[in-house]
Amino acid sequence: MFFIAHRERELTMHPSFFDSAATEKIKDQLHTDLEGTIEGTLMIIQIIEIDEISEPMLVPGTGMAKYNVSYRALVWRPFRGEVVDGMVSNVVGNGFFVDVGGMDVFVSKAMIPNQLKYTVEGSTPSFTDNSEQHIEKGTQVRLRIKGIRGEIGAMFAIGSIREDYLGPLDV
Amino acid sequence: MSANFLDQEFPDEEDEDDFNPQPEVGSDDEADAKPNVEADDDEDEPSSERPRARSAPKDEDDLKEEDGDGVNAADGEDEGEADGEEDPQGGDEEEDEEEDEDEEDEDEEQPSRKRRKRRRNQFIDVEAEVDEDDEEEPEEEDDMPGEEMHPDDLQELPPGADRDDRMHRELDRQRERQEAMDVEETAARLKERYGRQARAGGAGSAIVPQKLLMPGVNDPRIWRLKCRPGKEREIIFAIQHRIVERSKSREPVQIFSALERSGPMGGSIYVEAARQDDIMPALEGITHIFFGTKPQLIPVEEMPDLLRTRKTKQLEAGMYVRYKRGLYAGDLAQIEDIEPNGTEVELKVVPRLDYGLNEDANAPIVEQDGQGGGKRKRVQKPFSARPAARLFSENEAKKRHSKYLQSQGGLSRNAWTYQGKDYRDGFLLERVKISALQTENVNPTLEEVTRFAAGAEDGTENLDLAALAATLKTSAGADYLPGDKVEIFRGEQNGLIGRATEVYGEVVRIRVEDGPLRGQTVEAPKRDLRKLFKEGDHVKVIGGSKYQDEVGMVVKTKDNRVTILTDSTQTEISVFSKDLREATDSGGVVGASKYDLFDLVQLDASTVGCVIKVDRESLRVIDQLSNIKTLLPSNISNKIERRRDGGSAADRLGQEVKVGDAVKEYGGEGKSGPVLHIHRNFIFAQSRESRENAGVWVARCNNVEISAAKGGRVGTDLTKMNTALRGPNGGAPAPMPPPQQKGRDRLIGRTVRIRMGPQKGMIGIVKDATDDSATIELHAKNKKLPIRKDKLAVIDPTSGNVIAPDASMFGSGRPSGPPGRGGPMGGQTPGRGFGGPPPGAGGRTPAYLGGGGGGIGGRTPTWKQDSGARTPAYGGATSYGGGQTAYGGGQTAYGGGATSYGGGSVWGGGGGGGGMSTWNPNAGGGRTPAYLGGGSKTPAYTGMDAAPTPGFQDSAPTPGGNFDQPTPGAWKPGQYQTPAAYNTPGGFPETPGPYSAETPAAHDDGPRYD
Repeated sequence: MFFIAHRERELTMHPSFFDSAATEKIKDQLHTDLEGTIEGTLMIIQIIEIDEISEPMLVPGTGMAKYNVSYRALVWRPFRGEVVDGMVSNVVGNGFFVDVGGMDVFVSKAMIPNQLKYTVEGSTPSFTDNSEQHIEKGTQVRLRIKGIRGEIGAMFAIGSIREDYLGPLDV
Repeated sequence: MSANFLDQEFPDEEDEDDFNPQPEVGSDDEADAKPNVEADDDEDEPSSERPRARSAPKDEDDLKEEDGDGVNAADGEDEGEADGEEDPQGGDEEEDEEEDEDEEDEDEEQPSRKRRKRRRNQFIDVEAEVDEDDEEEPEEEDDMPGEEMHPDDLQELPPGADRDDRMHRELDRQRERQEAMDVEETAARLKERYGRQARAGGAGSAIVPQKLLMPGVNDPRIWRLKCRPGKEREIIFAIQHRIVERSKSREPVQIFSALERSGPMGGSIYVEAARQDDIMPALEGITHIFFGTKPQLIPVEEMPDLLRTRKTKQLEAGMYVRYKRGLYAGDLAQIEDIEPNGTEVELKVVPRLDYGLNEDANAPIVEQDGQGGGKRKRVQKPFSARPAARLFSENEAKKRHSKYLQSQGGLSRNAWTYQGKDYRDGFLLERVKISALQTENVNPTLEEVTRFAAGAEDGTENLDLAALAATLKTSAGADYLPGDKVEIFRGEQNGLIGRATEVYGEVVRIRVEDGPLRGQTVEAPKRDLRKLFKEGDHVKVIGGSKYQDEVGMVVKTKDNRVTILTDSTQTEISVFSKDLREATDSGGVVGASKYDLFDLVQLDASTVGCVIKVDRESLRVIDQLSNIKTLLPSNISNKIERRRDGGSAADRLGQEVKVGDAVKEYGGEGKSGPVLHIHRNFIFAQSRESRENAGVWVARCNNVEISAAKGGRVGTDLTKMNTALRGPNGGAPAPMPPPQQKGRDRLIGRTVRIRMGPQKGMIGIVKDATDDSATIELHAKNKKLPIRKDKLAVIDPTSGNVIAPDASMFGSGRPSGPPGRGGPMGGQTPGRGFGGPPPGAGGRTPAYLGGGGGGIGGRTPTWKQDSGARTPAYGGATSYGGGQTAYGGGQTAYGGGATSYGGGSVWGGGGGGGGMSTWNPNAGGGRTPAYLGGGSKTPAYTGMDAAPTPGFQDSAPTPGGNFDQPTPGAWKPGQYQTPAAYNTPGGFPETPGPYSAETPAAHDDGPRYD
């Protein structure tokens, strides 16, 4: 699910940047530092607005200036039970992996409907029921998130397509 | 009737498995007293069995009195009856269960008697009230005359008034209690009376607190006798036999029981008897008992300890044990079968056999089966290291011991008998006493266990998880903590789900979370519980399996098997739910392994690998040739620490690749990913798309292309530092000094002329050289002198032409310009193709060679000319053809550096391919003294120097021949194609690597090469 989060962050700046462009520089830094990062099970997609940039303060002993920046960011937070779409990144014998935004979701064989069987045709492994459903690398799938785990800079989840209306999408 | 009493007691013992009674306090009075009062009427005998029940000290007086009465009373019938009916069968069945493993039948009779006696004592306690007792007791007391007091003694006791009082009070109290417990008592009595019949159906339920059964001072004593160790059991059986035999005789055996405790208390038997004097007649004539030492009395308080049993671990088929001693001491074995008698097990073990290889061939033949007859000498086996544990191999056995080998079973079974032992599927099957095994703390390692893993048809290992779990069982099965989500999976509350709130002993209190009982708290025994996990739960393996400490997410649950997807390797593993706990922490396997995931490790001298999986006891490694190996940490010699600069390599286009750069495989599957390690010219990279081998793949570095360099290759972090403010040269490293010449100095062996100094003009040969000086052996006098290189000029030994005006620059790999234009060469321009070789010493670099086919084509004849020119007959165009191919051979040789000149001969030979036959003789003919002189030079150079030498000489007459052949056109490409290589110092090293230096890019980076 997407949210707009109000947050604050402390940034430091090297003295060599102390000039009229310092504020711009700080903004840039905020964007580059944060956009696309993952904290826990939360991903910062974009910083939509910087509300306030505090007066810089020199950090004693280093010469660096410290800014407190409060900003609003568009964040994405997947929830357990949420239904999301993603693209299959890899198919292995016991399931397949789906990229859902910055999150890596594993759909285990136990959570794939029984009629979808693992087959390897040529060199492309896939799950297919030999009629309309076919999951291979690159397929768009809809899945339900069963569990999420956040690590530093990464999110992992397991998902299920063993439900009505889940599974490969017709694109 | 006494049997009834037994009935009553035994269930109790069953209930509390261990017979570890606590000394009673004072409660027996009550319990004991009650039965008596009532029982008397109906059952005189049972009640009279109690006389020796321990009574509180205060009762002693009474006892004595009463005992007195009973002393002479021989219980003819009682005894007979008791013995007759209980001992043989009833006693057997019932008691076997309760009594400890060791003492068996012998005891049966005794305990019953003991109890009987207690009863009687009890009874006597209340004698005051009930007259009838008196009458009956006498009959029974006879058993243990020793214990009872003489009537006279009793009479001596002062009959005090208070004593009477006490008796009365006692009586009152008893009645009270009796009333209170009337119902129960009645039931118990009924039970007692009819229990026997009921008992056939199952366990009785009457409860007698165990502490009431504690021996007291009035009970029979236990004596210890020494015996021959190992014969204890035999003795006991003999005694039992005797008891049965004599029970009907006139003088029955007067001991109550005999028992032995094997193990640490071996070598002695214990006899329960009223008097020590009873022991001797009872045991007389039984062998193996040492009557030399007097029977030793066991103190009363130690008697329970003697019978204390420790619950032994229940062995099950499939569990692992270790041998305690013998050939297989310490070896892990798996239980195949357990003998019904519980003392032996059949084990499966990896045999240690030498198949007679260490046998002394000259030794007298000893019949293996012992049938040899005659005297069997114990052959002292010479001490030798025990054979390694290996699976049985019938082929090995057939070599020397085919006569001891028999096939067993059909063809399908791989079963053999070898030297009287059975082998199946390579394992030795052996029957072993449990006492010779270590069943606790077996702690099998994975390595050991995998030996027993029945290899399935498809080669996959088939570890019996259940068996392993039984062995590895740590703290009594599942370990519940408050907060664990649990499910009751059997019993009436089957299916209840809740959270543990409290855990005590074997009971877990659960707050129900679902269903009609929601919110209530129920209690359930641990064994009816299992932990419950939902899909998606993040769990950690807490023990019991080889996956300990693995963390992952639950993918599937089925009964108590849970499948989880591990965080570390994204693979699925199955574990028991009891071994899991909800985890908050992430992180892969921690384990005790020294090696982490993705470490680069040295497997052997020539093999390195990257760890792709860390198990508790093993590692999976992908080596540089992409082989996957599963290893024990001990198989790894060491971890290769990352070089401080991370190391670097050049990709197929010569771009520098460093650790962390994203690379893409060129060709193949086109795998990509960041570089994990660079080792030699192998690159370990990790693909994010592939889960196979944790995404790690290996490629040669000339088989990858860099797709994105990490961090733009700048030393400092640009975000931290304003680049605009950097100085003109700020941050950039100082230009690299020209690379040091490595290996043998090219100057060695050259003819030089001293340019300045006192020896100016003298000519000599360089014998040794350092960075800036050379040792010269002068031609003029037999003298070696060191002299600075910059005072030397390299000259051609024959023509005297100056090759390099400054020897310090010679071979440094930095000619001042393209050789074509070069000063020293300049003079030789016509001889370029030929003068080539001398600069080639330094300048005939890979670049030179790498000049490409065009150049070579042109040059080849020239080169060939070195030798070809010698031979007037040799000028033919045909020789060029040969020379060309030959050059191909020579090329590689040149790459090698100085020694490559040796390659000159290769080259010559190759060139000879067609022309050799002509060449050689001619060369021989054409060889001049100078040539020979050249030949005297170091062999490496011989080819080189020798070649030009005659060339020069011969070329003098036929310069045109020499110089015409290399057409200028052909030459040019050779030279100009690689100006870069000439300019860059990097171009010169002898390693093949420098070939890549031809590209301008590499050229920029030139200084990096060294």
